[in-house]
Amino acid sequence: MPADLSVPSTGGPSVIHDLGYRRYDGPRLGRAQIIRALAWHSFRAAFGLGRGAKAKIVPLVALVALCLPAAISAFAMSRGNARLVDYDTYTPALRDLVMTVFVAVQAPELVSRDLRSRVLPLYFARPINTIDYPLAKYLAFTGACLVMIEGPLLLLYGGSIANVHGGSAVWAQTRALIPGLLVGLMWAVVLAAISLFLASATGRRAFATGAVAIFLLLTFTLSEILLQVEGQNQGPQAAAVNGGPPPPGATVHVQQLVYVPSLAEKISGLFSPFTLFDGVRMWLGGTDMADGVYNPGGFGAVYALVLVVLTALCLYGLAARYRKARLS
Amino acid sequence: MTVIQIKNVSRWYGNVVAVNDITMDIGPGVTGLLGPNGAGKSTILHMIAGFLAPSRGTLTVHPALGEPVPTWRNPDIYRNLGLVPERDSVYAFLTGEEFVRSTAKLHRLGNPGAAVSKAIAMTDMGQAADRRIATYSKGMRQRIKVAAALVHDPEILLLDEPFNGMDPRQRIHMMELLAKLGAEGRTILFSSHILEEVERLSGTIQVMVAGRLAASGDFRAIRRLMTSRPHVFNVRSSDDRTLAALLVGRPWTTAVELTAKGLQVRTSDFGAFCAQIAVLTRDHKIALRELLPTDESLESVFGYLISSQGS
Amino acid sequence: MTPSTGSGVTPIADAAPGAPAPAVIEATALTKVYPGGVTALGGLTVTFAPGVTGLIGANGAGKSTLIKILLGLVEPSAGTASVLGHDSVAGGGRIRQVVGYMPEHDCLPPDVSATEFVTHMGRMSGLPATAARERAAEALRHVGLHEERYRQIGTYSTGMKQRVKLAQALAGDPRLLLLDEPTNGLDPAGRNAMLELIERIGVEFGISIVVASHLLGEIERICDRLVAIEGGRLLRADTIDSFTRASQTLLIEVEEGLAALADELVRRGLRPAAYQRSLLVPIGGDATYDTVRDAVADLGLPLSRMEQRRHQVEELFRDSGPAGPDAARLGAPGAAANPEAADAR
Repeated sequence: MPADLSVPSTGGPSVIHDLGYRRYDGPRLGRAQIIRALAWHSFRAAFGLGRGAKAKIVPLVALVALCLPAAISAFAMSRGNARLVDYDTYTPALRDLVMTVFVAVQAPELVSRDLRSRVLPLYFARPINTIDYPLAKYLAFTGACLVMIEGPLLLLYGGSIANVHGGSAVWAQTRALIPGLLVGLMWAVVLAAISLFLASATGRRAFATGAVAIFLLLTFTLSEILLQVEGQNQGPQAAAVNGGPPPPGATVHVQQLVYVPSLAEKISGLFSPFTLFDGVRMWLGGTDMADGVYNPGGFGAVYALVLVVLTALCLYGLAARYRKARLS
Repeated sequence: MTVIQIKNVSRWYGNVVAVNDITMDIGPGVTGLLGPNGAGKSTILHMIAGFLAPSRGTLTVHPALGEPVPTWRNPDIYRNLGLVPERDSVYAFLTGEEFVRSTAKLHRLGNPGAAVSKAIAMTDMGQAADRRIATYSKGMRQRIKVAAALVHDPEILLLDEPFNGMDPRQRIHMMELLAKLGAEGRTILFSSHILEEVERLSGTIQVMVAGRLAASGDFRAIRRLMTSRPHVFNVRSSDDRTLAALLVGRPWTTAVELTAKGLQVRTSDFGAFCAQIAVLTRDHKIALRELLPTDESLESVFGYLISSQGS
Repeated sequence: MTPSTGSGVTPIADAAPGAPAPAVIEATALTKVYPGGVTALGGLTVTFAPGVTGLIGANGAGKSTLIKILLGLVEPSAGTASVLGHDSVAGGGRIRQVVGYMPEHDCLPPDVSATEFVTHMGRMSGLPATAARERAAEALRHVGLHEERYRQIGTYSTGMKQRVKLAQALAGDPRLLLLDEPTNGLDPAGRNAMLELIERIGVEFGISIVVASHLLGEIERICDRLVAIEGGRLLRADTIDSFTRASQTLLIEVEEGLAALADELVRRGLRPAAYQRSLLVPIGGDATYDTVRDAVADLGLPLSRMEQRRHQVEELFRDSGPAGPDAARLGAPGAAANPEAADAR
């Protein structure tokens, strides 16, 4: 007789398990944590994470492009040269361009997509308030811009302290880094506000990208043109210096030529976020630039004010877009 | 009496065949054009209305007076034909009355005022006719479109998804209106993918699936034609179990199920079942309380047509 | 999986026997007037009981305003509303925690998978990450999405998309589901499947459901109760059974010989009336059924239908009462009243 193979090896009765609907009795997170979850989700979206490979191209290329000067500087320092770029200006042209591209392409990823797919009613029907959505998006995108700007700076810092010796040299680098980080913070906070506000106007990502890019480029070009025009109007007065020529016979000191711009030239810098950044930076003691915006001196307070007002308006506009909880 | 004749009509857009070799005749009364989304209903309607040319085949209109004419490139058909398209094709800044009047003028009617009033009264829009269309609800917009399509008293009325988005009261009004127009002898052809609307309204249906005509006629008659499928009846009686045993004994019964609501009987021979059931219950002194053919609804018929592509 | 004793969740109405079940939604004189003078709701007073309730007739402004108020997203101009015991104005956040909403229109991003999306929505409902993942998976299983859930939503059919919408409403473990035209855009098979699913949720999962629809057949099929709104006000609220109560008329259909049957019934003392292709006979007791059966059998006619007529929800929306022998018939004269005057916008 063959053995009965169907005898169960383990004891215990047979049972059909209930796969019916189960309630949830676990913890429920509050508004703050939901906002955090949404912000994290959006932060990842800003870098194309959680999407296909194509979504990662622009952020990745942008980040690599911005890191290049830091890498090159580190390499140069290892050969004995001084640091190639400053922490607070970094490489202005490159940073202006790359950040324009980044915010123009990625801000729509955060806000335009949701508008296009009309998913907002699902968010509004959840235990958050309507303001929480733009808040989370703003926090996320500011964070993303911070990564884009501070990342290369930290890389520059790392590369620099790896190549200098002595506590005081490291401290010098650190002291130079801090303002750079603060400038980066200013960039992130303002650019995120502007780009999200403009992008939230439309659900079509191409239009949103266009709107942001055109705004940033046009304003920048406008400022540049005004600066050129005013610069030419000033003409030979461009040679104003602190103090007069040295008295005959006195030791010649190396004097720093400080160019004092006219009011018109100062105002020219008010029309573009990038020139506003530079103005505020220089007002607060940053290094002057060889070309572009002039040090506005005390007028820099106006630059700061304009920046604050611009940011506030954009944030207000962003919040206003989502204030009415439309269900369709 | 055929009013619209469609012969071997096909319509393709590149590789997409929207309508595939359709032949149908449409006569007076209300006919429902039925099918899932994308079946080609709108395309056929637009071809009948002369907006699209068939890629192959002919569509002709046979008016009560005059010669049969093809629908394409023949503006004369609009004397006898009104179309109510699906899209919201009204000028929102006009009042309802102005909109219907403008259509009347386009038709060059002799007495537009009277025609407009009549059309508006027919669609029960008298109270709202002086308001701008922008203030109308969806159902009212549909009705004003129907009024505009009726203003020239056409023999044929084509409606594309006329009940879309209407609430029940509006739908009932519209159905009553269409039934009345059909009873007057007009030819009403409407399309829908909501079966309960079609079932109430039309005797004749044309079912389209993926561009082909799957069935035509009265849906119950169509059901009877589906002989390969057993008919299903629900029966309630004073003694279900005995009746079940009796039914199982008959050759035309394929299955009997005892449920909480009575018996469910499957039969391969509809006629035989109907002929025998009263006799059977009477002879065995079983009181019959309910006899329902359960799958004669348009929904079931439609489901069968879709799934089996007409068996 | 641990075995469990019961078959799931006890329904909400399990208070002390004899006590009335707590209302799921209560509206009192609810009014909303938009700037510009449009009145979306004009003094709506109604109570929704637990179970599956159909909401009809509120089209356009009225319905979406009502939903917005119930979700606590908009304040009423006058009157109050409470959902599951929470006031809509003071407790809006709490309401949105326990209510799942399924919008009428497309609202799904095309480039994420159902799993990712429902998980994300679970987190937006306040579930911690792991719980969100688990409940999303369960919700997708309950609505019947299997391997498809890993594909992008853009590749889904309408039926599958509707299921995803339902799943995201279920993921947060709601006590009440608001479904807005859940069978919109579905073909008959898909509609059937969705209705069965909703019925199952209402019966087995113990979740109260409000289904907004304009298809009366659907509502008659799956709802226990009905709330009919018109012109921003309550038209009627009652159980479906009360709407579809049986009338005292028997409908008889034979495949042939209708006239002969009519004569025979008259001979036997009944009063048949012709109705389309059938006969209507007033029921005077059980004997009526037997008389009809015998008449048909004696004449040897093929009997294809015999049923006690029921009223239909649709009758509520007819302007006039039933005309003729207790029947709702196409072509019944409509009254002149035009309630749509208030149905602007």
